[in-house]
Amino acid sequence: MSTAKTFLLELHCEEIPARFLTPLTEEFATAFVAWSQNQGLASAALKTFYSPRKLAWRGPGLPASQPDQTETQVGPPQRMCVGEDGKPTIQGLKFAEKWGVDFSAVRFEQPAGKKEPCAVVTITKQGRPTVDLLAEALPGLIAGLHVPKAMRWGNSEFEFVRPIRNILCLFGDQVVPITVDGVAATNTTWGHRLYHRDHPAPVTVATPEAYESALETAGVVVSVEARRTRIAQQLETLAAEVKGRVVADAELLDTLAEIVEFPKIVRGEFPADFLELPKEVLVTSLREHQKSFCIEGPDGALLPCFLTAANRTDDPAGFVKAGNEWVLKARLYDARFFFAEDRKHPLSDRLEKLMALTFQRELGSYHDKTGRVVALVKNLASRMSDDTDHIDRALEAARMAKCDLRTLMVGEFPELQGVMGGEYLRHEGAHEEVWMAVKEHYRPVGADDALPGTPMGCLLSLCDKLDTVAGCFAVGLIPTGSKDPLALRRAGQGIVRILWERGWAFTPADLIEVALRVVGAKATKPAAETTEALLAFFKDRVAYQLELAGYAGSVRRSALAAGWEDLADLKARCEALSAFAEDARFASLAQSAKRIGNILKDETASGDFDSALLTQDEEKVLAEHLGRLEATGDQKALLAALADLAAPLEAFFNAVMVKCEDPALRAARLSLLHRLRLAFLRVADFSLWQ
Amino acid sequence: MHIQELILRLQRFWADRGCLIGQPYDLEKGAGTMNPLTFFGALGSKPWNVAYVEPSRRPADGRYGENPFRVYKHLQFQVILKPSPAKVQDLYIESLEALGIDLTKHDLRFEEDNWESPSLGAWGVGWQVVLDGMEISQFTYFQQVGGLDCRPVSAELTYGIERICMFLGGYDNIFDLVHGEVKTDDGVFPVTYGQMRQREEFELSAYSFEHADIDLHRSLFDAFEKEGWRLLKDHGHFLSAYEQALKMSHTFNVLDARGAVSTTERPGIIKRVRDLACACARAYLEHQEGTVAPAEAPGKGGAK
Repeated sequence: MSTAKTFLLELHCEEIPARFLTPLTEEFATAFVAWSQNQGLASAALKTFYSPRKLAWRGPGLPASQPDQTETQVGPPQRMCVGEDGKPTIQGLKFAEKWGVDFSAVRFEQPAGKKEPCAVVTITKQGRPTVDLLAEALPGLIAGLHVPKAMRWGNSEFEFVRPIRNILCLFGDQVVPITVDGVAATNTTWGHRLYHRDHPAPVTVATPEAYESALETAGVVVSVEARRTRIAQQLETLAAEVKGRVVADAELLDTLAEIVEFPKIVRGEFPADFLELPKEVLVTSLREHQKSFCIEGPDGALLPCFLTAANRTDDPAGFVKAGNEWVLKARLYDARFFFAEDRKHPLSDRLEKLMALTFQRELGSYHDKTGRVVALVKNLASRMSDDTDHIDRALEAARMAKCDLRTLMVGEFPELQGVMGGEYLRHEGAHEEVWMAVKEHYRPVGADDALPGTPMGCLLSLCDKLDTVAGCFAVGLIPTGSKDPLALRRAGQGIVRILWERGWAFTPADLIEVALRVVGAKATKPAAETTEALLAFFKDRVAYQLELAGYAGSVRRSALAAGWEDLADLKARCEALSAFAEDARFASLAQSAKRIGNILKDETASGDFDSALLTQDEEKVLAEHLGRLEATGDQKALLAALADLAAPLEAFFNAVMVKCEDPALRAARLSLLHRLRLAFLRVADFSLWQ
Repeated sequence: MHIQELILRLQRFWADRGCLIGQPYDLEKGAGTMNPLTFFGALGSKPWNVAYVEPSRRPADGRYGENPFRVYKHLQFQVILKPSPAKVQDLYIESLEALGIDLTKHDLRFEEDNWESPSLGAWGVGWQVVLDGMEISQFTYFQQVGGLDCRPVSAELTYGIERICMFLGGYDNIFDLVHGEVKTDDGVFPVTYGQMRQREEFELSAYSFEHADIDLHRSLFDAFEKEGWRLLKDHGHFLSAYEQALKMSHTFNVLDARGAVSTTERPGIIKRVRDLACACARAYLEHQEGTVAPAEAPGKGGAK
């Protein structure tokens, strides 16, 4: 039994794009574990490390050599291997020779699946040194990594994410002798770029365990988690120094942790007069152009400073601070230029210009889209309110919604679409409802994003997304599998979320009907086909909405099966069911509901129930309950009534033979159960519970 | 540092490391990569190291000489190294040190920024090089040029001359940069970038946004295209045909700045430039190596 040794591999490359770091390290780790298990080297998961120039993996403890493996090989039938004289035949000898054993080692047994005894040998494959196995396998595992945008370099035909310039590969303290694209592994690596301007020698890593400390000395923190933590702490400290707090941005924090090897947060200042720009513009400009965080004061207003990560331990001459400030000033100058230029003309001047901006080939320009959204808003707003001023404002917001696509600012920062339109309208003195609706109408962008804060914003968002979804479906652009290039599912989810959270009474079928009418002749698919596809699409979105809302699987399934289109009703039922699921009487009720389903499966029960025909007490009690159930409107009360039904139902099934001889009585009993089931189905299909 | 000093130092640095020093190509173009020294140099199997300054004209970037950071025309310093050396990043870093940048006091990063030129049928992967938060260079490993795979692969380094100058000198206005000094018997006269270029920026911006004749440029585009294909097909002249492709490209950029190109029309126009440029690339390789497939060409270093 040999002692386990730790494995370490580091590919030191030219700067690897941040977005590939996690997928590449994880893919290799998975492939390595699969390989080692395949080799009989049981192993735990690899620990992954990465930095902009490194992909690295360490562990697990692997034995110094592979365990011996025995294999049984089956050959020809005994009669062909041994002659009548009892001596081995040529075929028999050849079989022994093939597996490198003497004929005396060949046994004759009848293996499973064979009709007669056959030649059998058991051979022992001696386990090979792990280091040899690693040396053989690693180049293939590395070359096999899936790199979405692979490149070649120099004279080589080798493809990888970026040129590999050094390989560190250890098994214990032993170098695993591999070569990839002409680069041979050693026990050394390179530290931070600038570290080696003062220390030209490579960094020796004596053992896998010494990896982090050896590189930390050379200016590289190899653990991304460690880098992220350091960045977060420094951000907080530096913001507190100016009595502010960081405007949180988890994505930016991840990015910074991925693009530096040794993080040091630098705080810089910008001229305070740039604070006249809308907050969103500053935050976006700082994030997009300079990967910088903003700091806000106690009142939520921005302070004239920013925080960004330098890729070094210090800033001895203040160049990093000064440089970032210089660049930021140039960027903000540009932003201010756009902000001033854009406001030289009212936003509405861009409406005409939307004609030259294609929304989608078959569906026309953004001008066409605006027309459709206006029509949708008109339809829905007038169904929700008879306040004509309010409706006029909603229509104004719909007309202005896309105009900012033709502004300079949105040209520079596409992520500010909507926000800029709203800001410009506010500056023009538009009604608050209007500019707020325009500003927020792209929300929710993702699953975590908040809905627009105002009803009008929600209405505009809903109509915009509805036009996108219904329009695309109507010209055959339907998401399939993982393909959804137009993010229609996200838009669909937004629609469902708005209905769900706002409690609006429009059903998907309602919305589809109006939207397709508005799309009109631009549709290239038959309306019936599109409607069917859209209904299925929305049903999926609604099911997902229930998941997002956190309902248990049994609640979701049974509630959905009893109807999904009326979202307010669905929500009420889910709420009631969730509360009710804890009730002890419920298991019994669900059981009974399943029995009812089974009994009725092959029967055609009449809806006309005649209680006068019933004979037994148990069924008479049940009939009384039915009357009460059917008279109850409210979901909660209905569920309470259903809970009260549990015991009588149990009693009924214990005492009453439903499928009795008397056809009239039998029909009445079936009818009773049928009507009970219909009452259940107003809340849920309990047969799907569990 | 003066602009001309920066250029001279870069030329000296790269000449000392085995590059030919090329000259700007005398046709309007949007990027230094379009210079034939790069476009054709990156093709085929022969080794090729060249460095040169190239004026880049981007009609849509014109700001009438009023924006301190954006101009219609700026200078790029281009370096092509083929095949890309193993130490290419180190060489690049040394070139910055040759400009007097003490990297032990700065933050230098290579951030992903892949490059693509649809009208040249070219793309590569690489980075923007960021110094203290400022993009100062583009660094690209060419994978395809003229629609053909690059074998071997060239590294292209592009320095933004004015940007680096502004950044190093802490200038807030490009027109305040000093190009160089004129020395006469009467004294020393510094000449600013503004003196040399601001009026030109104004006129050229006005041209590309207001005065350029759209109909004329449309007909020029067609004529350059026709001329290019004639030169290539009738005479096999890929260099003169390539000039026509460059003219098409610039004409398109002027039309685009004038707002005369619709989004739907755009890809079609770019394709017309690309088709001619790619055909020139193939003709060049046939001429150089007797084949269009560089992978099949005689061994490294070229045999002819």
